[in-house]
Amino acid sequence: MKPVTFLLREQWSGILLAVVLGIVALSIANPTFNTEFNWFVLLRSICVVALAAFSQMIMLGVGQMNLSVGALGGLVAILVGGLMDAWGVPAIPAASIAVLVGGGAGLLNGWLTVRTGINGFVVTLATASAFTGINLGLTRAVPFYHLPADFVAFGNGRIGAFPLLMIVPIIVTALLAIFLNRTVKGRHLLAVGGNSNAAELSGISVSRTIMLAHCLSGLIAAIAGVLAVAQLGSAQPTIGSDWLIISFAAPIIGGASLSGGSVSITGTVVAVVLIGLIQNAMVLLAVDPYWVTFLLGSLILAAVWINRIRTVRMERAQ
Amino acid sequence: MSLALQSITKSFPGVRALNDASLTLVGGEIHALMGENGAGKSTLIKIITGVHRADSGTLKLEDRDLVFSSPRDAIAAGIAVVHQERNLIPHFSVAENILLERLPTRNGLVDFARAHSETRQHLAKVGLNIDPATEVRRLSVAQMQMVEIAKALSHRASVLLLDEPTASLTEAEAETLFRLVRQLREAGTAILFVSHKLEEVLSLCDRVTVLRDGETTLMAAPVVGMTRGNLIEAMIGRSERPVVPRKRGPQLDQPRLQTQALTTSYGHKAVDFTLHRGEILGLYGLVGAGRTELARALLGQGKIRSGQVLVDGAAVRVRSVRDAIKRLRIGYVSEDRKYEGVILDHPIRSNIAITVWDSIARTLGLLTRNDEIALAAPLAVRLEIRAPNLEQRVGNLSGGNQQKVSLAKWLAADVDILIIDEPTVGIDIKAKSYIHELINELADRGMAILLISSDMPEMVAMADRILVMHEFALIDEFVNDRRYETASTRIMDAIHSVTAGSVG
Repeated sequence: MKPVTFLLREQWSGILLAVVLGIVALSIANPTFNTEFNWFVLLRSICVVALAAFSQMIMLGVGQMNLSVGALGGLVAILVGGLMDAWGVPAIPAASIAVLVGGGAGLLNGWLTVRTGINGFVVTLATASAFTGINLGLTRAVPFYHLPADFVAFGNGRIGAFPLLMIVPIIVTALLAIFLNRTVKGRHLLAVGGNSNAAELSGISVSRTIMLAHCLSGLIAAIAGVLAVAQLGSAQPTIGSDWLIISFAAPIIGGASLSGGSVSITGTVVAVVLIGLIQNAMVLLAVDPYWVTFLLGSLILAAVWINRIRTVRMERAQ
Repeated sequence: MSLALQSITKSFPGVRALNDASLTLVGGEIHALMGENGAGKSTLIKIITGVHRADSGTLKLEDRDLVFSSPRDAIAAGIAVVHQERNLIPHFSVAENILLERLPTRNGLVDFARAHSETRQHLAKVGLNIDPATEVRRLSVAQMQMVEIAKALSHRASVLLLDEPTASLTEAEAETLFRLVRQLREAGTAILFVSHKLEEVLSLCDRVTVLRDGETTLMAAPVVGMTRGNLIEAMIGRSERPVVPRKRGPQLDQPRLQTQALTTSYGHKAVDFTLHRGEILGLYGLVGAGRTELARALLGQGKIRSGQVLVDGAAVRVRSVRDAIKRLRIGYVSEDRKYEGVILDHPIRSNIAITVWDSIARTLGLLTRNDEIALAAPLAVRLEIRAPNLEQRVGNLSGGNQQKVSLAKWLAADVDILIIDEPTVGIDIKAKSYIHELINELADRGMAILLISSDMPEMVAMADRILVMHEFALIDEFVNDRRYETASTRIMDAIHSVTAGSVG
């Protein structure tokens, strides 16, 4: 494929261009940007964002939405903190238990969706509130601070500019890419999102696939929750409360179809980098952080709009 | 009153949809517009209704040059269109739908009393006697269509465009529609009747314009004295090629799929039939007779209340569609390609391989693109699926090619029994005869096929035996001699005798 056609074809080529231009502009505007430490901070900040985005991307893939991504991540965060702080469980077993509980909570979302026949949007709206309630009820909004040293060290560790924390999202990205593109279950997931009637009539169990998607979404949100604790060095009950918009923003900016069945892992990753870059730039240039939220909203609108124009053009061409 | 389009050219990126096409409508005439899919009919309609603007050429209403920049302009000029897709709001009342953008108000509030009385006048013009307060979703398909026509006429239209109006109507309903269209003709309306159905055009219309590859091949020709052959030749550029006939008959000693006194939650009453190896068993019935639902019941959707289903002589319980496919080797080609047959956004290769992903997967459930292509490529060649490559989105294909993809996945799955629901609705003549040949070939090779269709000529040409379904019960079964007169008469007699019985 020629580079030009490639740029025109791939939906995320535009945001990749924005990322490159952003990096060049920031390097010129502020010398601090291109320091090793700043790159470490930037890369570490996008680890949790990337996982929250993947958690939502799976749901967009199956044609649903998960409003409980942040609430579930927050619940898992205080769970892992509580296990280590209050019960003295070592880091790895604590993280494993917490992630499994997250997967279980996701499965519950899926089971409720399939069982009641109510759209996942509504079900997860309700469970999001429930998860947050459990979180605040258990902690009384008090964070857990006394975490094992190795766990905190993992969250702060780096090799040059590369944060150790980033190992996790890299592994998840690779597994997810294989899962969605190359496995039967992954193709089932996208087929159900693309056209659930056709999928059912082709012999795919739609309800099992939807449960699987919710379970995976919960699992990934849980991993995000654990990473957030490692990154902060404490288990804050507020973890996850600001994930929702970002979790939608990245996959959508990355080119996911809102009607389901089509997502882009590369696009989502590039969008996550763009979001990290914007947040970093705002800090470096001392801009009011609230404007980040505004900018994100504008970006979502722009991305959806561009996709819409593309679709209309394609339909006209027929 | 006359509407004339002259030398219309319209291009889209990569395609020239219309090339020097012309059309002239005159008040008091029913004018047919025909052409295969992709011939440019839709584009021409969109130009008349102000959706698209022509690159060149003129649009004249009574010698006045018109330039439409939006559909509103076309409506204001007295051009009304009834689209193939329903454009009504299901949860709104008939009155609200008809008077949607101009509901009468009193003191700033909707004046329903007046809206209903105005609506009654509009309904009277199409001979529809229903309460204007009825929600549209409670109407029958035919009634909805009448409401749409009433809505179109309520704009004081002098030009009425009907886009495939009979596609979802029963024959009786279509007759009512034709009566109305003829009345409108007498009243001086210019009517453009877009249809795929040759018989309809020959019996209803006064003149016909045919498009082929964006050009006019027949311009306002009088229909009197014309034959099916003339129309087909104008549409496809050569005469109709006869479908390659069957090579062998059904193997009646080998029953494949049977039902015994099957009663279902859909409302089927004591359905009994036997489908044999190598047989095409036709299931004829009007829309709503319960044919698709019977297919669904056989696939494990809906509950079986009593009676049983036998596959290869053994009683089975079908647990799910998945179970029907994997264990009992029953496939189903849906009547609704876009919503149930294919995944428009996914490539051809995945749409074909979807039924066999489980079996072509390697260890750990890994699938490779090459394995999908290796499976799909020979089928795409065999079915003559026209596409640059197998990565193409199915949504980019023509209706006929989409239907071939929808069939190809069942060839991939290598099922023994195939239920095919309305296989040729909305696809053009070439693709249609191709699909008929393919079905014949599958039966010749031993597949047992249950062919559901409300297309009478198709049923008579294809089926070995015909079952007639009416109100969820089988009312007749006979060996089809493939002679149109006898078979169609027998089917219609069967249906009339039950309906007459139920009325009397």
